[in-house]
Amino acid sequence: MSIMSYNGGSVVAMVGKNCVAIASDLRLGSQALTVATDFQKIFPVTDRIFLGLPGLATDVLTLKERFRFRVNMYTIKEEREIEPETFAHLVSSTLYERRFGPYFVEPVIAGLGKDNKPFIAATDLIGCLTLPKDFAVSGTASDKMFGVAEGLWEPDLEPEDLFETISQTLMNAVDRDAYSGWGAIVHVITPDKVITRTLKSRMD
Amino acid sequence: MTRLVQIEHALAAVSSGTTSLGIKASNGIVIATEKKSSSILVDDSMIEKVSIICPNIGIVYSGMGPDFRVLVAKARKSAQAYWKIYGEYPPTRVLTQEIATVMQEATQSGGVRPFGVSLLVAGYDTNRGPTLYQVDPSGSFWAWKASAIGKNMTNAKTFLEKRYNDDISLEDAIHTALLTLKEGFEGQMTEKTIEIGVVTVPAAAELVPEVGGRIKPSFRKLTEEEVRDYLAL
Amino acid sequence: MNSIASRFASTSASAAISRDEEENQVAASMWGSTGGFGNLGQVGIPSFEIPRVPDPTNFLRMHTDDRNDPSCRIKIQHGTTTLAFRFQGGIIVAVDSRATAGSYIASGTVKKVIEINKYLLGTMAGGAADCQYWETYLGIQCRLHELRNRERISVAAASKYLSNLVYGYKGMGLSMGTMIAGWDKTGPALFYVDSDGQRLKGDLFSVGSGSTFAYGVLDAGYRWDLSEEEAQELGRRAIYAAGHRDAFSGNTVNLYHVKEDGWKFIGNYDVTTLHYEGPGNVPGAVPGGYGYDVRTEGLHSRGAATVA
Repeated sequence: MSIMSYNGGSVVAMVGKNCVAIASDLRLGSQALTVATDFQKIFPVTDRIFLGLPGLATDVLTLKERFRFRVNMYTIKEEREIEPETFAHLVSSTLYERRFGPYFVEPVIAGLGKDNKPFIAATDLIGCLTLPKDFAVSGTASDKMFGVAEGLWEPDLEPEDLFETISQTLMNAVDRDAYSGWGAIVHVITPDKVITRTLKSRMD
Repeated sequence: MTRLVQIEHALAAVSSGTTSLGIKASNGIVIATEKKSSSILVDDSMIEKVSIICPNIGIVYSGMGPDFRVLVAKARKSAQAYWKIYGEYPPTRVLTQEIATVMQEATQSGGVRPFGVSLLVAGYDTNRGPTLYQVDPSGSFWAWKASAIGKNMTNAKTFLEKRYNDDISLEDAIHTALLTLKEGFEGQMTEKTIEIGVVTVPAAAELVPEVGGRIKPSFRKLTEEEVRDYLAL
Repeated sequence: MNSIASRFASTSASAAISRDEEENQVAASMWGSTGGFGNLGQVGIPSFEIPRVPDPTNFLRMHTDDRNDPSCRIKIQHGTTTLAFRFQGGIIVAVDSRATAGSYIASGTVKKVIEINKYLLGTMAGGAADCQYWETYLGIQCRLHELRNRERISVAAASKYLSNLVYGYKGMGLSMGTMIAGWDKTGPALFYVDSDGQRLKGDLFSVGSGSTFAYGVLDAGYRWDLSEEEAQELGRRAIYAAGHRDAFSGNTVNLYHVKEDGWKFIGNYDVTTLHYEGPGNVPGAVPGGYGYDVRTEGLHSRGAATVA
């Protein structure tokens, strides 16, 4: 039994035209037992950056606070908001600090950079950065999401179409994963606002 | 106001050091210093008074050479540590603050004396553009449009105040820098006795590294040939 | 049988034997497969080829035990919720329909109630193939019993037949946890049979990874004098609970009711529809969804209902 799938959960991020989206399920499990259906795995970093942390729930909560601390320190020291690229590097180096006793999470980062440039990234549990141009998946349903996203995603989607694409990708994938699902949440980051919606999904 | 004698000694060391100056132009910054050696027998090609800290930041000093060398080593290490965490080099202000912290600690710790140098830190970052800072032995630092430190700083500053305007170009600033140094210069001003560093503002395209490549440095030192050409004009 | 050595043996006697055996196998396979029901007449119970290795049981476990080796080819279906209970109006049998291979939901439309005959139902938990095969086989034997004795087999006899049968394969990797429900001379009867050889008579059982959740609902709502509608609702509600809480159960509920004149299929219900909307206009059901949040909307400590 892998510790990475002890609590279950999945996150996906997608690039659109001048926008990005990030979505996750809401399950918190203890192996097969579903304990909660309102467990948030995506956290705001700045007004334009979100961080998804699927994996071991205790580490999800610890890292959420760690990154809050580090980003706040950065903002104060540098007197500016952190950029998505910089934050991705911060995530990577924070995880590699624990190379030989890692946090069991595989983060996904989504945000808008300077000139509203869409940015997504994903790392493994010890901080190996990948910078996909289309979508990033992580969590117990990641292999399933790869398949659906590969079929549904297309370039230059407008916010509403991106919302539909990421929602369908997440929902159809988690419906084939025993450890993910039980509700979902989607954030679409656009230049002037963040659209957040909870989805009505299968509850089994 | 309380006087801290040790810091006054350090400031005295700076005041007896060779003159250095920096001027912020509309499209860059110049930092310059005179490089005088005590004997003609010294191989002055090995003396470096303007130092590159990281691709976007350079510093120059007045005061004690060995103290400067230690600070350069610490600053370079700090810049690399920053790069390791964030994947980019520190903004000028952050690096300046880092150096200033090191210098402040020397004023408060047991068994050490303050650094006998003042620094001019010139750098470029996307956040604040080109910026010029001065750091003193006390650990205090300020941003300047133009400043001078060292033996001739009072005269040099008066000179700069007369010459400076907000839309001076980098080329003009380099000439102004040379003219300012010339004011109090003892002996011949040559490419061997002058050191110049410049910050240039990169074009937007230059900020995106090529795949697998690096961003072009925005701080560089002028070569002896370049210095000679500026002196000839 | 067709080892290289015997096939190329030079003595004519051994060659003749091996040809005979080959013909036997062809005859058996004409019925479908050698492991199927085609060879019933000859031997009585089906015969299976055993892998020719020193320790066949261990050999099989190497390829079927997906706890130790997730990449093994033969997957055993571990996740399931099934339940059955006796009450005044007969027996309720309810199951989920999810099949998983590791964390992958391989199917959401599995039939886990096996209709052995008009009066007998079997439930499926554990190895899907084992349950399907042996309960179908049980159906054949029940029919033969009926023809021989001009009388339907009792549920006790049928379940004991199955129990004795699987006991013969004990230790060889069969995996079944089944309930045999039916109506005979004695009235409604319910037995639990598993591949360890255990056989229990009882009023209420639940089997599978989601059984604990089903038991929770069942124990809270069970009474002997439940009305038929109440009993059906209890079965439905219990499988829903398991489908909601257990990662390896869910998708849909299949509900059966065994009565004096045989079993009746009551319906198929989507677990998510039950969660949000409930079973619809069904006798015995409270209107509205089964879901906790759905039922307690606005009554939480979080986001409590605003008083107008």
